[in-house]
Amino acid sequence: MELIQTYLPPCLYAFVACVGFSVLFNIHGLGILICAVGGALGWLVYLAAAPVFHSDLLQSFAAAVFISAYSEIMARIRKCPVTAYLLVAFFPLVPGGGIYYAMEHAINGETDLFLNVLFHTLGLAGSLAVGVLLVSSLVRLINSYLYRRHRKRKGA
Amino acid sequence: MDYDRLLNLSMEMGYRLLESGAEIYRVEESIRRLLQAYGLATGEVFAIPNCIIASLVTPEGQVLTRVRRMPSHGTDIEQLERCNDLCRRLCVERPPLDEAERRMDDLLASRRYYSFPAQLLAYFVGAAAFVPFFGGTWRDALCGGLCGVAIGLCLTFLSRLGTNLFFKTVAGGTVSGLLALGLRVVGLGQNVDFITIGALMILVPGVLFTNAMRDIMAGDMMAGISKAAEALLIGMAIALGTGVSLWLARLLWGGAV
Repeated sequence: MELIQTYLPPCLYAFVACVGFSVLFNIHGLGILICAVGGALGWLVYLAAAPVFHSDLLQSFAAAVFISAYSEIMARIRKCPVTAYLLVAFFPLVPGGGIYYAMEHAINGETDLFLNVLFHTLGLAGSLAVGVLLVSSLVRLINSYLYRRHRKRKGA
Repeated sequence: MDYDRLLNLSMEMGYRLLESGAEIYRVEESIRRLLQAYGLATGEVFAIPNCIIASLVTPEGQVLTRVRRMPSHGTDIEQLERCNDLCRRLCVERPPLDEAERRMDDLLASRRYYSFPAQLLAYFVGAAAFVPFFGGTWRDALCGGLCGVAIGLCLTFLSRLGTNLFFKTVAGGTVSGLLALGLRVVGLGQNVDFITIGALMILVPGVLFTNAMRDIMAGDMMAGISKAAEALLIGMAIALGTGVSLWLARLLWGGAV
């Protein structure tokens, strides 16, 4: 019960937000549901990774890896570009709060805190990037391996 | 075979893909595959986020080249999916050029968009849902939604005037920041920070950032770096917009908010 209370509401908010954003990117029909579920599950991974990693950089990384893998799988199933699902499902992970708090510290003249928050935000963006890069290069590797094997068989 | 028309057709396909926010490698590969499907192994394509160049040599040895400049554009997943699907089909079925052109025209004629009120509702829902996500209350969520609508109106209005992305983002950030402070003063909102952050999620360049990463990984450094620079610039614009509204609030209320 306690688990549900900690995990369910944030994932639900992420789901609803992703529905809104998929409309803004002109996604219709079943695509909306896939994006929204991706966003909610991604955030669930982020939350569930907390007791393991104790660091929001690593949590972001784990969630980014999950969402990228999810998008690749969904894109293969529905035969459409990966970007479609990746873009929207990523939104909950984007460090929007960091930009705001950094600016607030800057306006207050708290340079230490400003730099602290700024570098943390950049770090979060970086760990998201590394997550996406890792999965998409792995998929490329697997694809080219399968393609080569396919051609070898055809040739033989 | 009329190679001029073939070049035009594949160029149109690439242009529409790029316009809807596809990765660079997808644009280049789609054009190359279309040319290959119609029997031309000599097609060369080069694309960056705002330009496509395609060139081919006909079997008679004649060289044909076309360049298309891409104005600034948004993201349209529906168009991206349908163009990608059509390209796949054309490559497999190889219909006569007349039919292929007709199918391309049909696709463009039957594009669907959400109505303006529906888009405003989406701005409301997207921003509002992010407010409790970051820790705000239900009343904050309502305020965040209103700020989201304000950003949506601001973006739409400024796009019609043809303003650039940087200025649009600064304006959106300022408007939503000021509105959040105003709602707090009126007494509807409770936490200005959560309201502003929720609304800012609309402006955050998450899309550009992920696309930049995918382009860099695909080996298109030019495209990746230019997109990453754009994302950084937008991040700065958001910070600037928020900074302006916070600073104005300090001036007006002397740090009480």
